[in-house]
Amino acid sequence: MTGIEAISAHNGWSIAIVGISIVFTGLVLLSLTISQLYKVLDMWEKRGAYWERFKQRGQEAAETPPERECIYLPRDVKESARQCKLLVEHLGQPFSLPKLLEFSDRCGLNHPHSTINELLLAGVIIPDGEGFYLWNDNVEFTS
Amino acid sequence: MGNLSDLIFQFIGNTGYYMLDYRYLTMLIVGVVFIYLGIAKRYEPLLLVPIGFGILMGNIPVFKGLGLGIYEDNSVLHYLYMGVTSGVYPPLIFLGIGAMTDFSTMLARPLLMLLGAAAQMGIFLTFLGALALGFAPNEAGAIGIIGGADGPTAIFLTAKLAPYLIGPIAVAAYSYMALVPVIQPPIMRLLTSRKERLIRMEEPREVSKKEKIIFPVIGFLLCCLLAPAALPLLGMLFFGNLLKECVVTERLALAARTSVIDTVTILLGVTVGASTQADVFLTSQSVGIFVLGALSFSIATASGLLFAKLINLFLSTKINPLLGAAGVSAVPDSARVVQHVGHEEDPTNFLLMHAMAPNVSGVIGSAIGAGVLWSFIAT
Repeated sequence: MTGIEAISAHNGWSIAIVGISIVFTGLVLLSLTISQLYKVLDMWEKRGAYWERFKQRGQEAAETPPERECIYLPRDVKESARQCKLLVEHLGQPFSLPKLLEFSDRCGLNHPHSTINELLLAGVIIPDGEGFYLWNDNVEFTS
Repeated sequence: MGNLSDLIFQFIGNTGYYMLDYRYLTMLIVGVVFIYLGIAKRYEPLLLVPIGFGILMGNIPVFKGLGLGIYEDNSVLHYLYMGVTSGVYPPLIFLGIGAMTDFSTMLARPLLMLLGAAAQMGIFLTFLGALALGFAPNEAGAIGIIGGADGPTAIFLTAKLAPYLIGPIAVAAYSYMALVPVIQPPIMRLLTSRKERLIRMEEPREVSKKEKIIFPVIGFLLCCLLAPAALPLLGMLFFGNLLKECVVTERLALAARTSVIDTVTILLGVTVGASTQADVFLTSQSVGIFVLGALSFSIATASGLLFAKLINLFLSTKINPLLGAAGVSAVPDSARVVQHVGHEEDPTNFLLMHAMAPNVSGVIGSAIGAGVLWSFIAT
């Protein structure tokens, strides 16, 4: 028997297809494994550093900052508040209200008295109990 | 006086000169050509010289019954040949190959392993071709493995599937391995453009010692769990490599890559050569095996090249398709041929190191292929 008939009779097509597939599978599997091997080894060698980083993340998660308070401010006051915050950063904390008023006036802030009053009432500017004031960083403005 | 003349005539009748016919003469010439190619042309001298001399030893006509011929049960050559027929020598050679091989480039660029897999297409396409020509499945499997371009693998599989074909298949496999520098370059030039041959490869990353030590263990487990029939060959290959890489067994590695492999190569070469006894070897079947072997080798080379071109379609950084030709497992000859052909186009392009990756993966691939054929056909 010869030709295609002989190949079919001896199951040649199946042997050839499965055979080459197994060779490819073996080498692809090996190739994929060794392509990741150095990464796994690298991780193993730096396991101390990874563990430290993992622990640090755990601690950071435990020390999550308090939830930020959301405060409603009219749009024009919100813009003034943003400018005020920049002035406070310039003055440094704690700051005195007259100094903030003076700076706000000098910088051309709109209605500095009423804006600062609004911020005091909203709890954005809070007294430190020693005659000075602090900017409350745990608030967010919405309008 | 009469007795004396009878004795003289008997002696003359028993000499090789008297029994020599054209078949033995042909084989003796083949043996001399092998020795010439090995010594003068330096084509695989470590293989061609022992095989060539073995051909001379096997083709001195002897009268049967004295226990001289390799196919006589009580001959010394027969005992040595048992290492071939029982499949003992090939795994020992693989042990030595493992202890010599540096898998670094393959570990650095695992993608190139796929070229070694693609080149094994030659094995299975030739298997189909041999079946179509009327060979029995066991013979077709043994012939197909010539395309793996791996002498020990070819001998191992033939010993298991068709031991009576070891002579022609081993000689064909080793001849084509020796003729890699002649067979491969025309196919490489035919299937690649100049632009492709000029492609430069990226510098491979540095491979750590730990990777090199872990690889033989992982490689062995992955491959042998997938194709357990490849165990004798791949087991010894990876074991030899572990001996080399783990440093603490340097003495064993040294023995494996020097005295063990050298001794086995001598015994294998001489006995395979001697198995080409003219009355057994010179048949139409042997001619068919040689033709199919050449075809198998060419298909393997072409498959590797074409697969390299195929994967280039999906890669942003192209690989030089010449590397595909190194997928046949003639280590390190086909890698050297890749370097040579690439070097002809651009003398500053060095491909040898990169070609070793598909080359050594071809060794693994052909051993898996042999295991697969053995398990399918023997059952």
